[in-house]
Amino acid sequence: MKKTLFAAALGLAVLAPGIASAEETTIRLHYSIPTIWANTQEKLATAFMAANPDIKVVLDGPADSYEDGTQRLLRESVAGRLPDVAYVGLNLWRVLQDRGLAQPLDPFIGDMKAFDEKGYGPAVRLGQYKDQTWALGVSASTLVMYVNPKLVEQAGGSMASFPTDFDGIIKLAHKINALSPTTDGIWIEPHDWRFQSLLGAYGGRPMTDDESNITFDNPAGIAAASLYQRFATEGGMKSYGSSEARQAFPAGTLGIMLESSSLLNRFVEGAGDKFDVTVLPMPVMAPTDKVYFPTGGSGMVMLATDPARQNAVWRYMTFVTSPAGEKIIVENTGYAPTNSILVNDDSYLGSFYAANPQSRPAHQQIARFAGPWYAYPGDEGVAVNDLIGAALVNVAEGANPETTIKTLAETVRTRLGMQ
Amino acid sequence: MRLSRKSRSVLTDIWLVGPATCAMIVLIFIPVIIVALMSFTDYQFGARSFNWVGWQNYIVMLTDPTARHAVTNTLVYAAIVIPASIFLGLIVALGLHHLALKTPRFASGLRAAYFLPVAATLVAMAVVWQMLLHPSLGLLNQLLAAMGQQGPAWLSDRGLVLYTLAVIGIWQSVGYNMVLFLAGLAAIPSDLYDAAELDGAGSGWNRFWTVTWPMLGPTTLFVTVITATGAFRVFETVATLTKGGPAFASDVLVYAMYREGFVYFKAGYSSALTIVFFLLVLLVTALKFGILEKKVHYK
Repeated sequence: MKKTLFAAALGLAVLAPGIASAEETTIRLHYSIPTIWANTQEKLATAFMAANPDIKVVLDGPADSYEDGTQRLLRESVAGRLPDVAYVGLNLWRVLQDRGLAQPLDPFIGDMKAFDEKGYGPAVRLGQYKDQTWALGVSASTLVMYVNPKLVEQAGGSMASFPTDFDGIIKLAHKINALSPTTDGIWIEPHDWRFQSLLGAYGGRPMTDDESNITFDNPAGIAAASLYQRFATEGGMKSYGSSEARQAFPAGTLGIMLESSSLLNRFVEGAGDKFDVTVLPMPVMAPTDKVYFPTGGSGMVMLATDPARQNAVWRYMTFVTSPAGEKIIVENTGYAPTNSILVNDDSYLGSFYAANPQSRPAHQQIARFAGPWYAYPGDEGVAVNDLIGAALVNVAEGANPETTIKTLAETVRTRLGMQ
Repeated sequence: MRLSRKSRSVLTDIWLVGPATCAMIVLIFIPVIIVALMSFTDYQFGARSFNWVGWQNYIVMLTDPTARHAVTNTLVYAAIVIPASIFLGLIVALGLHHLALKTPRFASGLRAAYFLPVAATLVAMAVVWQMLLHPSLGLLNQLLAAMGQQGPAWLSDRGLVLYTLAVIGIWQSVGYNMVLFLAGLAAIPSDLYDAAELDGAGSGWNRFWTVTWPMLGPTTLFVTVITATGAFRVFETVATLTKGGPAFASDVLVYAMYREGFVYFKAGYSSALTIVFFLLVLLVTALKFGILEKKVHYK
């Protein structure tokens, strides 16, 4: 008896949204990192529902990080209660695509050229794999240089003539490091995305386009890895963990920090009146047509399978990545937009840039050099990221960059089944 | 129908033991069997299908340097934390036990202070440790700098990080061990000490070896088992302070399980690690009860 009651209650609960959908469609939305996104998501949903009264957006409780969020989506898929649309890290949507959870977006996009002309090009390019679109990029971040101008001037440098190549930067970092025992010259995390960014600055790519082979064991990759060693031996890079370094920079003891542009607001708040956090673009060490910087940030995937909901989700996705939606995101999170109209036309973000001049270098770098954040394919794809990080720690601590990177490439090939 | 006395008592036994047994079967044995089965597959978290791969996961575990690293680190960590926290727990308990005879208020204040790390949430405490141990801004290294010493990077130096975590582990379990030892000390009848004195064991050292230590036998066994399983299960400090880094230098078994399963999504391999860990803890516990129990005086 109890069981039948329970089943009936469950049936009603499942049916309830179905009854309501006679007039309106309800879509469930998943997002992560509430510290950055909670307010923005509320605003996006409100603005979207005002423009589309026949669709109701329900926000699921947020996950703490993109990794946590992806785990939760996988668990929900096992339990058969996936949300209809989800925000995921730009390096993680492939996990959902791999498992057949993300729905292909090309049928909805239709004519790609017309779609691109409406400004959606960058969003699409961040979510493509093998010429198919699986995600729309929503917010973008890129590796930039955070500089403490006070320390630069104390070390005899100047912001006006700040070096634009790594040799100059390392020399400056050396001088900052020598100022006192408590100051450090420079820091970058031994981490896959940071390494891919340095690699891109030298014009290299981590993999071939068809993802059948690893290519970071070329001169560009060795140069990128060597930077870790030179930063440590010449530039005074300490073996900080990422949270330690993120405390040291706003505290004013670290001269130059190569970090994600998404941390700008946090650093500005943390530094307060101590110094003016200054953002500079990354050095470009190769011909500009070869250089790219992998884009971090988030994208949306469609998880709904019911056609009516898919249509509602598609309307939501195109709203968020439209100039109106992207404006809300940029103004509230400080992330770079993924709609090209917004980047090129100052009528949308002119006042934002006037108030946040330090956001501009990152947004310009993305507009010029945005590229995909390569996610390594297959079952071991996430695991090899940590192997790359470990190899970079070895290089920073004195291992030969060339042999380390070549051995690493072999290990990664074996782990990914490329040979 | 009336049941015989014997069958009624059997029914009572079943009624008393049954619920707990059922709960154990459903919540422990069945999951362990499922995990054991999963360890022979290549199941990926969230995947629609899987393949049987035989002993493949276990072979990888034996040959993969990362996995070996996790095992060695766990053993080193346990080898430091288990003896140190038992020894310190005993010393503190003996001290407080004697202090309580003279200044009971002060002793109970101290006891609360020692017990605080046990009661506090370790994750919150980890944030405090992180701030204390920051290489340039942390209190510890600022003090060292004031004395003209350059402090090391406690949590991001590869050679040091495991020992730093071990010290935090000791700090955390000394209080708990102390409380258990205090209870053990309180249960020793004072006439045993009088008898020992009559027999010529006058010095404190002699009294300790002839009365206190043997009488604490059961407590020590219990403390050892608790501390050992706790040390092998170390996870929170690793997850919150180092994430197993830098370069796997503080990777331990339970964190590796979590990482393989929930970060890398390799549920099959993670299950294999879990089974090995389960057997390891089972073995240690069985050894301890098998060998030590025979040498402990309970009465």
